[in-house]
Amino acid sequence: MTGPAKHLHIPVEHTTLANGLRVVTSPDRSAPFVTVGVYYQIGFRLEPHGRSGFAHLFEHMMFQGSENAGKMEHIRLINSSGGMLNGTTNYDITNYFESVPSNALERVLWLEADRMRALKVDDENLRNQRDVVKEEVRVNVMNQPYGGFPWLDLPPVAFRNWANAHNFYGDFVDLDAATLADVQKFFHTYYAPNNAVLLMLGDFEPAQAFALAKKYFEDIPPQAKLPHADVSEPPQTEERRGEVEEKFGPLPAIAVGYTMPQRESADWYIAGIIDRVLHGGRAGRGYRKLVLDEQIAVDIDGGADLLETNGPTQMVTRIYHKPEFTSEGTVAVFDEIIEELQQKGIEYAELDPVKVKFRSDYYSMLESGGYPMPRFGLMHLLACFTLFDGDPHRVNKILDGFLAVTPDQVQAFSKKYLVARNRAVVVRRPTALAGAR
Amino acid sequence: MNAPVAPAVARANAPALAPETRVAWPKRTVATLANGLQVVLVESRTFPKITVQLYFRSGNAVVSHSAPGLAEITATVVRSGTDARPSRQIEEDLRRMGAGLGTNAGADLSAISAQGLAEFSGGILELMADLARHASFPAEEFERERRQRLEELKIERTTPGFLASERLRRVLFGAHPYAVVSPTEAQLAAITRDQLVEFYQKHYVPAESLLVVVGDFVAAEMLEQIEKVFGAWRAPKPAHLESAPPPHHSGRHVYLVHLPGSVQTQVLLGNLSITRRDPDWYRLVVANSILGGAFHSRLVLNIREQKGYTYSPGSGVNALRQQGYFTMRAAVRNDVVAATLTEMFYEIDRMRSLAVTDEELSSAQSYITGVFSLGVATQDGLLGQLATAYLDQLPSDYLETYRERIRALTSADVLAAARRHFDSANAQIVIVGDRTQIAEQASLFGPITAYDAQGNKLD
Repeated sequence: MTGPAKHLHIPVEHTTLANGLRVVTSPDRSAPFVTVGVYYQIGFRLEPHGRSGFAHLFEHMMFQGSENAGKMEHIRLINSSGGMLNGTTNYDITNYFESVPSNALERVLWLEADRMRALKVDDENLRNQRDVVKEEVRVNVMNQPYGGFPWLDLPPVAFRNWANAHNFYGDFVDLDAATLADVQKFFHTYYAPNNAVLLMLGDFEPAQAFALAKKYFEDIPPQAKLPHADVSEPPQTEERRGEVEEKFGPLPAIAVGYTMPQRESADWYIAGIIDRVLHGGRAGRGYRKLVLDEQIAVDIDGGADLLETNGPTQMVTRIYHKPEFTSEGTVAVFDEIIEELQQKGIEYAELDPVKVKFRSDYYSMLESGGYPMPRFGLMHLLACFTLFDGDPHRVNKILDGFLAVTPDQVQAFSKKYLVARNRAVVVRRPTALAGAR
Repeated sequence: MNAPVAPAVARANAPALAPETRVAWPKRTVATLANGLQVVLVESRTFPKITVQLYFRSGNAVVSHSAPGLAEITATVVRSGTDARPSRQIEEDLRRMGAGLGTNAGADLSAISAQGLAEFSGGILELMADLARHASFPAEEFERERRQRLEELKIERTTPGFLASERLRRVLFGAHPYAVVSPTEAQLAAITRDQLVEFYQKHYVPAESLLVVVGDFVAAEMLEQIEKVFGAWRAPKPAHLESAPPPHHSGRHVYLVHLPGSVQTQVLLGNLSITRRDPDWYRLVVANSILGGAFHSRLVLNIREQKGYTYSPGSGVNALRQQGYFTMRAAVRNDVVAATLTEMFYEIDRMRSLAVTDEELSSAQSYITGVFSLGVATQDGLLGQLATAYLDQLPSDYLETYRERIRALTSADVLAAARRHFDSANAQIVIVGDRTQIAEQASLFGPITAYDAQGNKLD
């Protein structure tokens, strides 16, 4: 039963409302669900100076009450409609999303429009969510082995622009300094319809969905002038190194991050393929050499957030190695993998299967991917393609760019980008091994 | 865009729900091969992929007294070589077919799972059958995986969530096999390759197995393919072991796992309860949802949204095959451990003493049935539901009747379930954190037994 390759086509329609809100639909009548997302083009890169962690704290505030739906009402109305909801804060976007039985579409739109129109929160809500966020940071970072590794460790070493280099979860001093005035200012600056995209996926007629979007969102006033943001990095000329203490875990952990080419550039597609050549599970070159052949590492994985970022980003390799090996020596073996790629390149015999897996993973991402909700990944990509590239239809074209990458391009890329002056290396060194090299 | 002026929209109230669209449960093809392998197939054609799970109905519980963790390490090494394919070829074959593979074991099950492109369905099934029937357990692969597992065991012992759940399982289950969730380093070191081979030969057998395939295929053709690949597989069915009963718990007791310097305390409490096959199961699911099983639940409202003690509190009903258990958990700042336990017992006792409101009941019913329905929209979701139904040998109309069974329940049902299954007076409490900051607070809730992270009792 090996059949012909089937090509997937995702139906996509989009429009822009008079207030600048972009609206994207993707009908899917296979089951009576709808997944709705509102994505704002503001992430933790652009939080105010002296307010590290604010974009994420603010995301929590979006669940604390809006004009006609008070605290807990968003959650109660979604849960009692039979649905799930959440929000996340990312580098360049903050998203709010729900999956519900299809009969709740209008109710979800009413809720999202209500909180895009006006946030209604008080000091008590802010104090409460500040406490909640601190426990979130403790449970995910401060009280966990390898907590925050490496997503909080690498940026301050790798980057020089504060937007890219600060603590995205937030210093507690900064969280404590946040005021209700900061909350309202951030809301009015960034949470405007012309800085957002509304996505609807699932069991509905697009015409009906667009009409509902218009009904609930179109009279929300736009922001006259969105602030210009500079997230650019000065050129890097040397390798950057850092070390962070690991208080709990027994193994040294290494993160190697190479800064990636700009979104949608020709090289950017090559980066996506190289990522899978090096990582990509047990067949990847990193796992094969460091875990299987040399048996230096216990685990190695990695990736690059290419599709969902719109500013400086790195392809990151994470290596957890056995304590009897040094971190320096481990990096040297990792470097052999890179050098081999630079010197010998890659054969089609390896590249072709990498692409097959790439295509398969892309389909999986569209189906669900990233969060246990139907079509979460499809929603996420449609949002990124709309906000960053102005074209949600890229969802049906983007694969072509990755699948066209040639062995020559892979080799040239590795010589150009996978070099010391384009990378940062951070070692998480267990307290128990402090002083060991 | 030139937009006409829209009439004012009434905005003060949430719109009513539209009429519900009926959930059409997908047609299942169910078959049992001559060798006893049970097969469940569902076509799901939206994405050109297939998702496959091959379950064996034996896990760590059947070896917990002889070789704890044996099922798990067996599952780990199963993918590392067959008679015909060395480890490296397995990984390359998978990539060539756009496939991902997982092998794992829990208390009740061992499993080989894969997903990949539908155009390679045949090859993916052949590879899975090869692993299920002809794994070769190369000695060097076993030693490498064992060393990796050893390092993982060390990491587990620095993870508060793991330490809490491990201790609670020991306390709740006593001499019952479910008490052990992970081997000690010494136990792992004592496992031999021969034991892996023996476990594999005894338990990776068709008569004990369930194969579920969901995806883009024609069911009749898929069944034919499965017959071709798995039909010749023959092995005897293993004997069933009787387990010692779990202990009876009388009174609350506190088990403190000391992690010096912790900036937060993991709180976990629980009691033994029921399996999915118990007639009370649906009532318990609704009661748990209202108590702490949903974002909009009493526990979350109380200790997160009102008091700010914690980020992700919750409660759960854990349905192991022989015996289920109820848990409630929260990771809280150190100075509110006593306050958290007070609120937890308040919420449990409130569920036990007062009927839930009609609004709470209908909201929970909608939530549970809605989320259940969302499961049909992805291959993974469907597969999970089918696996639950067939592994637990639930009635064949389980999927179709689940929603109406939930909807039929009354607040009296919920109250009865809460009284029976939230055993407030005899709850066992685990706290993981810095003893010097939390022991005094916890002592208000019962006598304390303290351990270090390695499981040694402290004075």
